[in-house]
Amino acid sequence: MEKLSAKSDPIYLGEAIVKKALAVMIQHNLVKFQASERNNNVAEYSMMHHNVYCLIRYPKYLYMIKRIYGTSEEILLEILLNLGQASASNVIFHSANRLNEANDSEVLSPSALHQSFQRLAQDNFIIRCPKLAENATLLKVPTLEIEEKEKFAVPNVEIEPIARMLKEKATQLGGHCDSEIIWRVNHERFDIELRNVILVNAAARRVDTTAGELYHLILKLWRESSNPDSPATTPVSYNVIKDAVRKNDSSPILLEHFDHYLRVLHEDSAGLIDKPGDAGGGQFNLDYSKVFENLACASLDSIVLERFGSKALRLFRLTRIQKFMEQDQMQNVAMIPAKEAKMFTYKLLEHNFLQIKELKKGTSNFAPVKSFILYHVDLPQVVRTVLEASYKGLFNAMVRQMHDLTENKRLLEKHAMLESMLERLKGDDGVPEEEIAELSDTMHPAEKSLVEKIHLMSDNLTLGQTQADETILILESYLKFKSKEL
Amino acid sequence: MALKVVIKKEKVDDARPRQSARDDDKTEIEARILELLRKYPKGINDKILETHMPNLDIQIRVDVINDLLTKKKMKLFQAPGTNELFWGLNEQPVSIKLKEVDKEENVVMRIIEEAGNKGILNKDIRDQSGLNLTTINKILKALEGKNLIKSVLSISVAKIKVYMLFDLQPDRSVTGGSWYTDGEFESELVDIVNQQCYRMLQQKAEAAKLKAMDGPLIVRNASFLSSKEICQMISDMNIVKFNLTVEEIEAILETLVYDGKIEMRMVSDGDERIKTYRIVETLLSSAAIVRIPCGVCPVIKICGTAGEVQPKNCVYYDQWLD
Repeated sequence: MEKLSAKSDPIYLGEAIVKKALAVMIQHNLVKFQASERNNNVAEYSMMHHNVYCLIRYPKYLYMIKRIYGTSEEILLEILLNLGQASASNVIFHSANRLNEANDSEVLSPSALHQSFQRLAQDNFIIRCPKLAENATLLKVPTLEIEEKEKFAVPNVEIEPIARMLKEKATQLGGHCDSEIIWRVNHERFDIELRNVILVNAAARRVDTTAGELYHLILKLWRESSNPDSPATTPVSYNVIKDAVRKNDSSPILLEHFDHYLRVLHEDSAGLIDKPGDAGGGQFNLDYSKVFENLACASLDSIVLERFGSKALRLFRLTRIQKFMEQDQMQNVAMIPAKEAKMFTYKLLEHNFLQIKELKKGTSNFAPVKSFILYHVDLPQVVRTVLEASYKGLFNAMVRQMHDLTENKRLLEKHAMLESMLERLKGDDGVPEEEIAELSDTMHPAEKSLVEKIHLMSDNLTLGQTQADETILILESYLKFKSKEL
Repeated sequence: MALKVVIKKEKVDDARPRQSARDDDKTEIEARILELLRKYPKGINDKILETHMPNLDIQIRVDVINDLLTKKKMKLFQAPGTNELFWGLNEQPVSIKLKEVDKEENVVMRIIEEAGNKGILNKDIRDQSGLNLTTINKILKALEGKNLIKSVLSISVAKIKVYMLFDLQPDRSVTGGSWYTDGEFESELVDIVNQQCYRMLQQKAEAAKLKAMDGPLIVRNASFLSSKEICQMISDMNIVKFNLTVEEIEAILETLVYDGKIEMRMVSDGDERIKTYRIVETLLSSAAIVRIPCGVCPVIKICGTAGEVQPKNCVYYDQWLD
C-alpha cells in the first residue's frame, strides 16, 4: 500500500494530474482503493499486480475469444479492454459502430451483439464490477461490494435506444437504463483458459491429437463443476464424461476407443488425470499441483538442455529424480566420464540449478572431519530463480523494443506520414501517377528497407515477449498451486 | 656256586621294522593315490579310495593323505551340490615355486594368491608383509618377469595397478566390465550403444503407430520393448566385439530414462518381473523462454539497465534480430 504524497516526491506532478492518473488506472482495473486503517476519511491506493501484468496478454485474450466464439465476441472484448470498465449497452453500442465501419454492407443488429455479450458472461469471461454499498454515500471513502450470484448476471438491455443512436451515427451513447451495472474483463478466467491450452497441448504430445480433444472436453467439465481456487478439481464420473463425448459430436475414433483413451491418459506418468475412486464407473479429477510440477520440471529441463547441453540435463534429471546423490554415484549412474561429469555438476551448481547438502561423518576428534557432499534439487527455489530470470528476460525484450523504436523515431514517423499521404492520394482519383511516384521517391529505398527491418524486429520482440509470458505462466502456476497444497 | 647270567633283552620297538616297511608302503601308497587323483581330475572321495585300495589300513591312509596335504600335492574341497568332501590333485604345487624363488618373494606370492580374483594393491602388500617398499617393488618386477603375476589397471582406485596371479581372470569390479578398456572409460562406446537403443525404441514406436486404428492402448502397449529383447537385438547387430549382459544394457537404458527420452515400466511375465521400455514425448516441445536470447543467456545475472551488459546493446539480441 503506497500512499502517494505528490508534493514531497522529486517528480512533482501536481495534484490534478495525479488524481487524473489514479482515476485512469482505477478505470482500467490496475489500481484499487480502500479506506485507510488509521483514518477512515482518507483513501489508500494499491496496485493490483496481476492485472498490470496481464496487460501483456491482451492480444492472446482476443485471439482465444476469436477462436472459441467468433468476430463479434472478439470486438466486444476489444472494446471492453479499451474502455476498462463499461456498461453492457455502452460496449454493445461501440462494438456495433466498429463493426459497421469495418464492413459497410451489413449492419449488425444490436440484439445479436447482446446475445454475444450474454454468451461471454455465461462462460465467465467478463465479470461485473462491485457496486457502491448501501451506506456508501455516507462515507468519505466509499466501499464497493458485489454478491456472488450477481457476478455474471446480464441485465436487461434496451435495444431500441441503441439502434436509434446507431442510425443517427452518434459517437456516444447517452443515458441508458443499465448504466449503473458495469462490467470488466475477468482475468482469472483467462488464466484458466491459457493453462488449459498448455495442458491440452501436453496431452496431445503424450498420446495423440484425439486424446487432446478428449482432454479438452474433460477440462471443460471440470471447470464447470469446480471452484477455480482449489488445488484440485472436483471428481467427475465416467458416465458424465461419456455423455459429454457423445453429445459433443467428436471424431469416431474417440467414440470407439473412448475407454482406451481415458485409460491411457490416466496411466500416463504426467498426472494429467487422477482416479481417486471407482464410483459411477470411475471418478476422475485433476491435481493441479502434480501436473504443474511436471510441467515446471519440463520447462526447467528444457532450459538446462539449451543452456548447458544434454549431459548436464542427464545429471540434472538424475539428481532431481533420485533426490540426493553423491558426485561419484552421479557419474556412474549417468555413464558420463568423470571429468565432464564434474565440470557440468559445478556449472549447474554455479547457476543455482543444483544445491549442496553437507553431512558430516563425525568420527574421532583428532582427524580432520570428513563429510558427505550430497547434491539435490530444491525445486521451489530453482523455479523461483528461473522465474526471476524470465521476468528479466521479458523486461529486456520490452526495453530493447522501446529502444529500437525510439532510436529510429524520426525515420518511422517520416515513413508513417508518407504512407498516410500516399493512401489519401490514391483515394482521390484525379492525381496523376507521376506525382505518386515522386512522392514515394522522397524516401530512399535503403531507408524503406530499414523501416521494414525495424518493423520486423519489433514484431519478433513482441513474439518473444509472449513466449517469455508462457514460461512465466507455467512457473507461476506451479508456485501458486504448491503453496495451496501446503 | 655258579652265578646265573641273566641276559637282559633289549627292548626292541616292535613298530620300527614295520615303520620302515611302512615308509616304503607309504611312498607306494602316495604314488598310487596321486595316480588316482590324476585319473579322476574332478576329485575322488573316500569311497573311491576304498574301492581301489581295499586292503589299506585306515591309519596308513590317513597318514599318507595328511602328508600329501602338507606337501600341498593334493587339496581338500567340498562338492558344490552335496557338500561332500573330495580330494583333488593340486596342480600348482607351491612347493615347486619355493625352490625357485626367494623366501621374501614367497611371502609376497602367498599374499597375492590370497587376494584371488580381485587383486591386491601395492600398499596392501606392504602392510601385510611388513617389507620395505623398494624391496617389494623389486620382487614384483622379478615375479612379473617370470610371468607368475600380472598387473591390472583398476577403475575403482583411479589408475592404480592391482596385482594378481598370472592365470586368473580379473574380477568385474576391477576392470569395470565392458565399458572400461585398460582402465579408461569408453565414452564413445557408451554413446554408440545409447544411440542404438534409442533408435530401436523409435522404430518400435513408429511401427506401433501404424496400428492407430486399433486404439491408443494397443499403440502404447505395442511400443514397449523389454530389456532382454533389446540386449538380443544389440548382440545381433555386432556393434561390440563381446557380448553385453542384460544388466549392462539396463544401465544404458537407465541413462536414457534420465535423459527424459524413454520411460520404464515393470511388467510381470509369469513369475518374474521384467523391465520394459518405450519412447515418450516430453510434456513441452521446449520451454518457451529459450526461444529468446535472454532464456539461454550466460550473463543474465549481470544484465541490467546500466552498465556493460544491457539489452539495448546486447550482442545476443543483435545476432537474433538479424
